Amino acid sequence: MIGRRAPEEPSGHITNAHSASETVGPTLANIVVTGCLYTLIAIGLTMVYGMLRVLHIVHAGVFAVGAAVGLLIFTTAPVGFWPSLLGAMLAAGVMGVAIYYVGYRWVLDAPRGTPLLVSIGLFITVQSLLEKEFLIGPHVEGFDAATGLPAFTLGGFAFTPIQTAIVVSTAVVCAAVWLLLNRSRLGLSWRALSEDMNMARSLGVPTERAVAINMFLGSAMAGLAGVLVAVYENAVSAHMGEVVAYKAFVVVVLGGLGSIWGAAVAAFILAAFEIGISTTFGGLFPRDAIGFAVLILILLFMPTGLFGKRLD
Amino acid sequence: MSQPLLLAESVSRNFGGLKALDQVSLHVSAGEILGLIGPNGAGKSTLFNCLAGSLPSSGGRIQFNGHEITRLGASRRARLGIARTFQLGKVFSTMTVKENVLAGLGIGAYGSFLRSVTGRVKGESELAQAREILDLFQLHDEAETLVATLPIGVQRRVESARAVATNPRLLLLDEPAAGLTHGEAESFAEIVRRVRARGITVVVIEHNMRFAMDLTDRLYVLVQGRIIAEGPPATVREDPDVVRAYLG
Repeated sequence: MIGRRAPEEPSGHITNAHSASETVGPTLANIVVTGCLYTLIAIGLTMVYGMLRVLHIVHAGVFAVGAAVGLLIFTTAPVGFWPSLLGAMLAAGVMGVAIYYVGYRWVLDAPRGTPLLVSIGLFITVQSLLEKEFLIGPHVEGFDAATGLPAFTLGGFAFTPIQTAIVVSTAVVCAAVWLLLNRSRLGLSWRALSEDMNMARSLGVPTERAVAINMFLGSAMAGLAGVLVAVYENAVSAHMGEVVAYKAFVVVVLGGLGSIWGAAVAAFILAAFEIGISTTFGGLFPRDAIGFAVLILILLFMPTGLFGKRLD
Repeated sequence: MSQPLLLAESVSRNFGGLKALDQVSLHVSAGEILGLIGPNGAGKSTLFNCLAGSLPSSGGRIQFNGHEITRLGASRRARLGIARTFQLGKVFSTMTVKENVLAGLGIGAYGSFLRSVTGRVKGESELAQAREILDLFQLHDEAETLVATLPIGVQRRVESARAVATNPRLLLLDEPAAGLTHGEAESFAEIVRRVRARGITVVVIEHNMRFAMDLTDRLYVLVQGRIIAEGPPATVREDPDVVRAYLG
C-alpha cells in the first residue's frame, strides 16, 4: 500500500495515516496523491504489458531499485533531490532494457505463463540482492529529502512539498505519455506493436529499438515512483516493491490490461475506495483488502476491467 | 536486361521434413504487376513471407534493388521499400481509416530516435498525403470511420492504403480480392493499376484466377513448392502443366 506511513507502523508495512477524525481536505489530498503514485507505477506497467503481453511483476523490483539508487545518489553526492531523482530514473530505465534483453526477449513466443515465471524469478532475484548488506540490507533506510517545491492549497486540498512533487510529476508524465502516444512516430510504432508484432515489422517499425525505448521509459517511471514513494514515506527497504507488485496488478486489471488511461483512472478509483473506506470506518476494513474486494466486485460485473478489451 | 527490382534465387523453406518451397527462383521487374498463383498449399504465402522477411528462408538468396536482403528481418526490408498486406488482413482496428493511413505515413518516415519522437504525424503535409492516398483507394467517404466497423472488403483496401502510405518501391498483396464481389474485385484491380502508375511495383498472390489474369502482366505458377510455369497470363492459361495442376 502506498500512503504516508504512520510512525508506529513496523518498517515496510505502510498504511494510511489519516484517521476518521481528520478533515475531508487532507483525506482528499491523500486520495489525489495516492492515485498519482498508483498512476505512475501502473502506466509503466501497462506500457510494457500493452506491447509485450507480459505481466511485468519485476516492475516492482525496478521500483525498489529506483528508490535505492535515488537514495544512494542523494546520500553520496551533494546534488540534491532532483538530480538524484533523474539518476534513479536513468538507472531504472537501463534496468528495464536489461530485463528485456536478458529475460523477456527469449521467451516472448513461449506459452504465456513462461514470461510471467521469468518476471517473478527476476523480481525475487532483485529483491534478494537488495537485501544484501552491501546494498540496502534487511533494515529500512530513511530518505528525508527536500524537493524545493512549495506547499500549496488548492480548493481545500492542502499539499506538502513532496505531495506537490508527486502531483506535478504525475501530470508531466501523463502529458508526455499522451503526446508520445498520439503525436509521435514512436507512439504510432508502439500502437502497431501492441496490435500485432508481425504487422508492425511489415510496416518498418524497428521492433527492437521501439521495445527497448518502451522498456526504458516504462521502467524510468517505476524509478520515479520509487523515489517519490521513498521520500513521501521517508523509507527505503528491500521489500518496498512487494506491496507495489500486487497493488499495481490490481490497478492494471481494473483498468483493463493494456489500457494506459484505464489504468490511470483505475488508480484514482482504487485510491478513493481504499482511503475513503478506511478513513470512514477506521481500522474495521484493512486497506489492502478493500483494494482486492473492489477488484473482485468490478471483475464480477465487468470481466475485462473498467475500460479494457477482452484479453484473448 | 536491366537489373530486376527483386530477385530470388533457389529459395527453399522447410518445415521439419516438409519442403514448403523447393529451390524457387523468380524475378520482379520494376514497374510490373506480377501474379503468383497456385492451388491451396502450393507455398504461395510461404514464398511471400520469405520475400517480405516475415519468415527466414532455409536456403537460397534474395536481392532487392541491388541489396542482398536474405538475412534481413521484415522491418529492415520494409524500410528498404518492401511493403506487404496479409492474407487475413491486419489493420489498426481501433483507429479510423484516416488514422490508419497516417500511421503508415508516420511509421514509413520513422527515421532516427530523435525524428521518431519529434517528427510530425498529423501536420499539413501528412494530412495532404493522407487525403491523396484515401482518394486513390476510394476511401474518402470512410475517412473518419472506425475501421472495426467496416466490411472486410473495405478493411482490405484500408490495409493496402496503409501499405502504400509507407512509400514503398515494391508492394506485396496477399489475396487482396478474397471475399470481394466481382464488381469490388474489378474496382480494386483498377486501384492496383493506379498504384503501379505511381511507380510502385506490385506482386499479387491470388486465388481468383479471373482477377489475376485480368490484372497482371506476368504470372508465376507455384505447385507443391516449385515453380511450374511462368509467362504472360494468356500463355500460362494454356500451359498443359498448369491445366493439369488446376484440373487434376
